[in-house]
Amino acid sequence: MRGLLSKKSIFLFILLIAAFALPNFLKNKFYMNIVIMVIFYAALSGSWNILAGYAGQLSLGHSIFFGLGAYTSTLLLVKMGVSPWLGIIAALIMSMAVGALIGYPAFRLKGPFFTLATLAFSEVIRYIASFWKELTNGAMGINIPFKPGLATMMFRTKEPYYFIALGMLLLIILITFFIDRSKMGSYFIAIRENEDAAEVLGIPITRYKMYSMLISSGLAALTGVFYAQYILFIEPEAVFNINFSSQIALMSIIGGMGTIFGPIVGAVLLVPLNEIMRSAFSSLNGLNFFIYGIVLIIVVSWMPNGILPTITNQVKKRGLKVSTDRKGAGKIDTAN
Amino acid sequence: MILQINSARKDFGGVTAVNNVSFDVKQQEIVGIIGPNGAGKTTLFNLISGALPLSAGKIIFKGEDITNQKPDLICKKGVGRTFQEVKPFGNISVLENVQTGAYNRLSRRKEAREFAEHVLEKVRLIHRKDVTAKSLTIADKKRLEVARALATKPELLLLDEVMAGLNTSEIQEIIPLIRSLAEEGITLIVIEHIMEVIIQLSHRVIVIQHGEKIAEGTPTEVINNKRVIEAYLGEEITIA
Amino acid sequence: MGEIIQVLISGILVGGIYALISMGLNLILGVVRIINFAHGEFLMLAMYLSFFLYSVWGLDPYVSALLVVLILFVFGLFIQRIIIQPILNTSATVKIFVTLGLSIALQNFALMLWRADFRSVHTAYQTAVINVGTVAVSIPRLIAFIVAIIVALGMYLFLNKTLVGKAIRAVAMEKRAAALMGINVKRIYLLAFAIGSAIVGLAGALLIPIYYVFPTVGTLFVLISFVVVVLGGMGSMLGAFLGGIIIGLVEAIAGVVIAPGLKEAVYFIIFILVLLFRPSGLFSLGKGSEEVGLK
Repeated sequence: MRGLLSKKSIFLFILLIAAFALPNFLKNKFYMNIVIMVIFYAALSGSWNILAGYAGQLSLGHSIFFGLGAYTSTLLLVKMGVSPWLGIIAALIMSMAVGALIGYPAFRLKGPFFTLATLAFSEVIRYIASFWKELTNGAMGINIPFKPGLATMMFRTKEPYYFIALGMLLLIILITFFIDRSKMGSYFIAIRENEDAAEVLGIPITRYKMYSMLISSGLAALTGVFYAQYILFIEPEAVFNINFSSQIALMSIIGGMGTIFGPIVGAVLLVPLNEIMRSAFSSLNGLNFFIYGIVLIIVVSWMPNGILPTITNQVKKRGLKVSTDRKGAGKIDTAN
Repeated sequence: MILQINSARKDFGGVTAVNNVSFDVKQQEIVGIIGPNGAGKTTLFNLISGALPLSAGKIIFKGEDITNQKPDLICKKGVGRTFQEVKPFGNISVLENVQTGAYNRLSRRKEAREFAEHVLEKVRLIHRKDVTAKSLTIADKKRLEVARALATKPELLLLDEVMAGLNTSEIQEIIPLIRSLAEEGITLIVIEHIMEVIIQLSHRVIVIQHGEKIAEGTPTEVINNKRVIEAYLGEEITIA
Repeated sequence: MGEIIQVLISGILVGGIYALISMGLNLILGVVRIINFAHGEFLMLAMYLSFFLYSVWGLDPYVSALLVVLILFVFGLFIQRIIIQPILNTSATVKIFVTLGLSIALQNFALMLWRADFRSVHTAYQTAVINVGTVAVSIPRLIAFIVAIIVALGMYLFLNKTLVGKAIRAVAMEKRAAALMGINVKRIYLLAFAIGSAIVGLAGALLIPIYYVFPTVGTLFVLISFVVVVLGGMGSMLGAFLGGIIIGLVEAIAGVVIAPGLKEAVYFIIFILVLLFRPSGLFSLGKGSEEVGLK
C-alpha cells in the first residue's frame, strides 16, 4: 500500500513538473488555448465537485457563482479601475454571500428538488443580469478594454494565463485534498450518503452543507475572474447559462464525482474532444454537444461513479487478493 | 438517573403513535423495550434522538432538558442510536463509516481512524474494514450500525433491533458484546423482538402496546404480567 | 378595464398550453417517479414534426396533431424502455443526469439537422381573432385552451373510471402493493411515460401555429412546467392544470405590472417560494414533494 502511495506521489510530482515546463514546448496558440481551457474547466468543475461530489448537493446553478465572480471583478475594473487581483476578493465575497443566500433556503430541499431550485435561482439571476442594464449593460454584455499588464491581469501571450490557470487549479486540488483527508470531508460524504444517519452521528447537516457551498461558490468565483480576463467579454447569456452549469457538472460526473482528480480526468477527456469536434465538424453545429449528451447517458447509466473510481476499483480488486490472504491468516491467528 | 422521559406523546395527523409514555433509565442499566409491531417503539427512539419532534412531554438527559433538540446536538451530548432499517454510508468503506462517527469526539484524522479500528475490533467487523459498506451482509450491516454509533462515544446508546435477521449463533455472539458495553459504563436501551434475548439481556423491561406503556419491571415480572400475556396472546411469542 | 381583461384572458389562454405540457410531465413524475429533464425536448420534437408535416406535406397542424401524438406516444415507449427503465432503481444523481443527457443530446440533434433558425407555419387562421367587445381572443390560443380542458377532463375520466387508469393510480400511490395485486408495474411505467409523451406531443402540435420552433425552445417551456408541477403538486393532474393557468396569469400580469423583461423572473421567484414554503404544492394532498422522488 505504501509502495503504491509513493508511486502515485512520484507520478503526480512528475506531472506537476511537466505542467510547469509545458509552455516551453508548446508554442502553438491553438493547442495552448485548448490546454488553458482544460485547466480552466478542471478548476471550475473541481469547485462544483466540492458541493456536489462530496456533499452531494447536486446543483445545476453553479454558473451563478462563476458568473458573479466574473461580473464583480469586471465591473470593478471597467467602472472603477480596480485591479482584477483585488477584484478577486470582492468576487469571492459576492459569490459566497449569494451562495449563502441561496443555500439557506435551498438546503431544506432534497434530491431532484434541490436541483430544480438551483436551476430556478440560476434563471432568476440571469434575468436580473439581463434586465439591470445600468449596472451590467444587460444582454449586450461587457467588453473589457484590452490594457495589457500584470496589474490588469491581461496579457499579449497565452503563457501568463496558463500559469494563472494552473495556480488556480493547484489551489483547488490542494483544498479538495485537505477536505478529502479531514473531518469536514468525511462529514460532507456522510451527508451525501445518508442525511438521517449523518445527523445522529453528531453532524450539523445544514452547517456543513453551508461550508461546502461557501467553499464551492468562492472557488467558482475565482475561475470566473480568470475567465473574464482571458476572454475579455462577458454576457449574461454565456456566464449565467444552465447548459454551461450542466457542462461543469458533466466533467466531474464523467471523471468521478467526490474524488480529487475526477474533475481533471473529465476535463482532459471532454474539453479536447469538444474542441476537436468543433473544428473538425464546424459545419455540423451541435454535433459536439450531441455526443456530449450521449456520452453522459452512457457513462451515468453504466459507470455511475465515473471513470476514475471505476479504474481504481479495478486496480484495488487486483490488489485485494493479496490483502485478503493476509487478513485470512490473521483470522486463523485469533482463532488459535 | 441518566434519562427521564416524562409523558412523551407523538401524534401523526390523527394517529397517536406514542401516548403518555414515562420512564426513567439509570446509569449503566440495560433497559429492554418490547411490544408488537407498530407499537411505537421506534417512534420513541426517534423522539429521544431528536429525529422527530414531540407533540407533548419532556425528555431529560443527565438533568438537562433535551426535548426537541436537533439530532446532532443530542448526539454531541452523549446519545447514540442505531436504525432498525440500516442506513450505512454505502459507497465508502466500513472503516470510513465508523471513522465518521468517531469524529464526533475526535477531530484529528489519525485519532479518529485508530479509534474506529478499535471499535471495529470490538464488534468483530475489523476483517471487513476495507470493503464498501453496501457490500456487507445484513448481519454485518447491523454490526456496522452499532460500531458507528459506538464510535461517537455515547453515554446512552439506543439499539433498535440490532439482532433482527441474525441467526442464533450470531445472536449469541452479540449478547456478550452488549453486556460488555454496559460494563464499560454505557447505558443501553434495547428494542428487540426476540423475547428470549430481552430476558437474557435486560435489567429491566418496558412493554409498549398501541403507543402506551402497559408494563414495566424485571424480566420475570414482565413475562408473568397479565396484561403482557394478553397483549402477546395471538402474537407469536418467540421463546426459542 | 378592457386592457386588464385582455391581459387576463391572454394569460389564461397561454396557461392552457403550460397546463398541457405540465400534465404530461406530472403524469411521468407521479407514476414513474422521475423528473424528465428532457420533457421540453419532447415538446420541441413534436413542434418540428408538426412543422415538417405542414411544410413538406401541407398537412394542417390541427389535422396532423393525431399523427404527432401517435409518434410521440411510440417515442415515449421507446425512451422509457431503452433509457429510463434500466436506471429506475438507481440514485437521484443518475436519474437527473441521464435525463439531462437526453435533453442535451436531443437539443443538439435538432441543432445539427435543422440549424438554429426560428421556424413557424403560416396558416390562414393564425392571426384570426374573435372580438368580444373590446377584447380580442386569438383563435389558435383559444383552441389550445379548449383542448387543454378536454385533455384534463379526459385524463381525469381515464385515471378514475377505467381499469387501466386505476392501475396507473395504484402504481403511483404504492407500487409494491400494486405489484402484489397483480399489476405489471413495468408495463404501467411504460404506458404512463408514453401517455405523458403523447400529451406533450399534443401540446407541440397546438403550439406550432402560435409559436416559433427552434432547437432550444424546449428549455423555455420545460422550466415553466417544472414551476407548474411544483406549484400544482406532484402527480396531481388537476394541480397541473390549475398551476398552468396560474402561471399563465402571473406571467401576463407581471409583464404589464412589473416589466416584460422580468416576467420570467417573477414565476421563478414564485417557484422558489413554493418549493420553500409549500413543497407539496398548492393543490396536492399527498406527501411533501421533497420526500418523494428520492431513493
